[in-house]
Amino acid sequence: MVRGLDDKLFNTFVYIILGLCGLAAVLPILYVVSVSITPFGEVLRNGGFILFPREITFSAYKTLLTESNIPRAFQVTIFITVVGTAVNLVLTALMAYPLSRKNLPGRHLFLLMIVFTLLFSGGIIPTYLIVKSMGLLDSVWAMILPNAVWSFNVLIMKSFFEGLPEELFESARMDGAKEFRILLQIVTPLSVPVLLTVGLFYLVGHWNEFFQAIFYVTDRTLFPLQVVVREILMQSQQPLENAENMMPTQTMQMASVMLASLPVIVIYPFLQKHFTKGMLLGSIKG
Amino acid sequence: MQQSNRVHRTGKRARSWTALLLMTALLAGCAGGNDGSGGAPVNENNTPPQASSTANQKPIKLEIIESGNNLPSPDKDQIKQELDKALNIDLSLTVYPSGDDYSNQLNVRMASGNFPDLFMINRQQLLQFSKQGLLLDLTPYLDQLQQTVDFIGEDSLKKGIVGNNVYAISKSPQVPYNTYFIRKDWLDALGLEVPQTIEELSAVAQAFTTGDPDGNGKPDTLGLTGGKLGAFAPVFGSYGVGMPGNFYEKDGTVVNSLYDPAMREALAFIRDMISTGAVDPELLANSGLQHQEKAIKGQAGIIYIDWPNMTKEQFVEQIQTVNPNAEWIQIEAPEGPAGRYDGAWDIGASPGRYAIPKALEKQPEKLQRVFDLLNYVSDPDGGSMLVQFGVEDVHYTLEGGVPQMTEQSGDVGHSWLYQFTGRPEMDYLQAKFAAQSDYITFAADQPRIEVLDGFIDNPDGFNQADATRYIEEELAKFVYSKRPLDEYDDFLQTLETSMNYSTFVDSAMTQLQELGFGS
Amino acid sequence: MQTPGLADASSLQPSRWQTTAKTLWRFRAFYLMLLPGIVYFVIFRYFPMYGVIIAFKDFAIMEGITGSPWINPWYKHFQDFYQSPYFGQLMTNTLLISLYKLVWGTLPPILLALLLNECRLRWLKSFVQTLTYMPHFLSWVIIFGILLSLFSQNGGLINRWIVESGGSSIPFLTSTDYFRSILVGSEVWQNLGWGAIIYLAAMSGIDPTLYEAAKVDGATRLRMIWHITLPGIRSIIILLFILKLGHLLDAGFDQIYILYNIQVYPVADILDTWVYRTGLQQMNFSLASAVGLFKSSIGLLLVLGANGLAKRWGEGIW
Repeated sequence: MVRGLDDKLFNTFVYIILGLCGLAAVLPILYVVSVSITPFGEVLRNGGFILFPREITFSAYKTLLTESNIPRAFQVTIFITVVGTAVNLVLTALMAYPLSRKNLPGRHLFLLMIVFTLLFSGGIIPTYLIVKSMGLLDSVWAMILPNAVWSFNVLIMKSFFEGLPEELFESARMDGAKEFRILLQIVTPLSVPVLLTVGLFYLVGHWNEFFQAIFYVTDRTLFPLQVVVREILMQSQQPLENAENMMPTQTMQMASVMLASLPVIVIYPFLQKHFTKGMLLGSIKG
Repeated sequence: MQQSNRVHRTGKRARSWTALLLMTALLAGCAGGNDGSGGAPVNENNTPPQASSTANQKPIKLEIIESGNNLPSPDKDQIKQELDKALNIDLSLTVYPSGDDYSNQLNVRMASGNFPDLFMINRQQLLQFSKQGLLLDLTPYLDQLQQTVDFIGEDSLKKGIVGNNVYAISKSPQVPYNTYFIRKDWLDALGLEVPQTIEELSAVAQAFTTGDPDGNGKPDTLGLTGGKLGAFAPVFGSYGVGMPGNFYEKDGTVVNSLYDPAMREALAFIRDMISTGAVDPELLANSGLQHQEKAIKGQAGIIYIDWPNMTKEQFVEQIQTVNPNAEWIQIEAPEGPAGRYDGAWDIGASPGRYAIPKALEKQPEKLQRVFDLLNYVSDPDGGSMLVQFGVEDVHYTLEGGVPQMTEQSGDVGHSWLYQFTGRPEMDYLQAKFAAQSDYITFAADQPRIEVLDGFIDNPDGFNQADATRYIEEELAKFVYSKRPLDEYDDFLQTLETSMNYSTFVDSAMTQLQELGFGS
Repeated sequence: MQTPGLADASSLQPSRWQTTAKTLWRFRAFYLMLLPGIVYFVIFRYFPMYGVIIAFKDFAIMEGITGSPWINPWYKHFQDFYQSPYFGQLMTNTLLISLYKLVWGTLPPILLALLLNECRLRWLKSFVQTLTYMPHFLSWVIIFGILLSLFSQNGGLINRWIVESGGSSIPFLTSTDYFRSILVGSEVWQNLGWGAIIYLAAMSGIDPTLYEAAKVDGATRLRMIWHITLPGIRSIIILLFILKLGHLLDAGFDQIYILYNIQVYPVADILDTWVYRTGLQQMNFSLASAVGLFKSSIGLLLVLGANGLAKRWGEGIW
């Protein structure tokens, strides 16, 4: 009896806090969405703050989709995101698996080497020289290869692999399975949550890519989405001292942000079901 | 887990050592493979030494980078297409909306020898790059650039000189755009006149704050706003001082505004004005165009701003949407102890400088095209009209010699990105912004304090950033009554000693004297 | 590798060579797996590292990194940094802001993940999870706009309420009293849901039979969180904490650079903003590199120390 009551109380508490978190997140987002579909004059008349639009227009979206470089940039971004994430995941898993084997000779050294790059870097000029000498300038690969592996993600994946029960590997090895097969047929299916998590980190990283594009790409037709969006946003930050400058309105800015982030926002709910508690191990062990 | 650790501890050292060996081998192998790429910059312009006789048949690719925005893609860029056609080139322009992104790009390209053929530089870059021999000395080529030199004028030519050599082409000079704008309908509502003196300015600002000029019954209006202390530029001017830190001539000698006795009085006035509560409390935090937005939203009644951001159609429309009765008028700088000066105008600053890499001297043919391009956009009978207004009879028509913009002119709104040598400022603005014509002339005709900062280069051992921060921070304290003005001398003292400001002032004075100022 | 003759001739202890070679051979599949990644690290991460030497040079673009002259004394750029009148303040601000962010950037996401994990209403879970994830995609420029419309002293929503209910407006964005809270608060808001993802993923790896056994024993849900869920994600918490410690001297340049203004410099100016104004804007790359090296070295010490500590509890990165 008492336990049921406790449980109810506990649930209520959980729901209230979650509700508040959701509310705190949704209000500002609502503001971004509302501004993006309200005529800018209307936004200004309301002192710049609008939560529920009274007058709706999609003209900002229309302008962005027909007159700006955004449609082409979408193609570039989708390419680097898909190809880049695939390359990332393969390389990362290939590194994380051996490093999760605690008896691997030299493991500490490799790990230290990876952690070291999280802290130290040689700066942009020598990296630029490498990218240039490999002939990658002005190509999509310049936005993929220099970030082919993130140290952080290797460490995350390695840490998850370490949590897998040792018996699985032992029995597989007794079956005479080769390490590559163990990775592919035993480790990978058991690690869907971490693969998705790390995959999501990479995917979002590529989606938000602008840094390398700004350095390595001068061909406008190869600019990814965020470079174009940044162009729209930066103008409000540093107005050039010239009469010709056309300032994009706040409506336009918000619309560009929405366009650029909507695709990565909508995929998240589809990934969530794979994070369900204890799903995988339960099925294997049981 | 603990146990397996212990088990494997034996022989751990040996294994690590093996791995180290493996790593060294790997490193050595790779480093060997990459050898040379990190060394001296390699010039990778692979254009074969073409016979000059066939040169005219194939367009030469010219790469130009600068900061800017709103450049359309090449297939929609009519200015590029016209220039390509006229000069037999394939012009590839890349613009960077953020100044930081641009200088990063420029720096990596300079460092890697991957030079653009023409690029925008600021004074700092001009000094460093020319000192390091990265820029082409244009002095011997000035004959070939006659058209360009005539177009920009002697004064602008000087702005590209380091030592005795011309290393950059500076755009032709521009005119000042800033003035105070005031809400005429608010003045009328409160029965006030346009302020003529700084005292009246302060009184009007106060009335705007407390008198409910928008008649909505709420205390939601402000007197004065602007971008940081710039909001007070005409007030400083009325005391005869430039903006804090500016150098200018006064009574025949060069002075730094911080040392000008009138600076203290100006600060005292500003402090008193701020303490009435009539000034935007977030004045010093306004970045970008926040102050403009406050004005458009009807929160502030006086603003110090440029005419484009207040009078262009886009903004007039916004102002009207918020309040159809809103009427902004441009006003003269209010009078103070030293008269009327609408802030400071740096006569040493350049609207933009362009340089050519030294490496290009090995490709005379390409270099010639760059010169051709510069001369072409400087030729009033040639490309100058193109980069100002677009294609004749498409984007503009000539009526009695005066260009009139057509409906299509919106397609070449980015033409200014190609004005590498500038434009005849007043004629250009009058034609291109016909509707704003009066505002343009009014702003251009205001008397300004001519400051010389643009002629000064920082001496070694002076950290500009720390000094700037200290000045801004302490002045903020003075005007917000957080530090008494009696301590102004202590402020100067600290500035000179801790921030090394005296080194800077001494060096600046010497530099300006050498240029003939203050004599 | 396994030519015994050679080993015999070159070493007095052939057996040791052979053991080593054998070990390597035994793990060959693993090394092969590591190879592509290692090649990547060597080419794109380690090879460019010679760039750090410009911290000890008078970097000139034309001479390149290797060709630029060494500076005399070698610590000149470090000295310039140390001798800035703002050095003490910069260090204090950087450490304080970073520590606040470390604490507030770690605990709330864990809490959110725990709550989501306990949530029995699937629609609510999915809803909240998605909503809290969204702010991560707003850049600081946009968040600055949102903060302005909420906290601005003139016309900000909150100050409008305050003024309308008879109070006087509060300078949230220009006062040294509130600025750090705004920094930390907006960061927590931006990364709450994003930060929770990894803990949720870690929770999905916990063996459900543990919960079932605990339930049979009559454990409350709070006890299960404490004894099963938290220990289950302990190693990932420690890993993330150690890695974050390595970046203790990065207090968040992008955010602060966009949000700060001259009136809050005394509480907001950090190493990176100073370097930006002093080093990068004035083309003093060597100074920027020296400060970077300083930051990285401190970060490395912290990571090594924290990892050493963590190892005592059987965790740690290596």
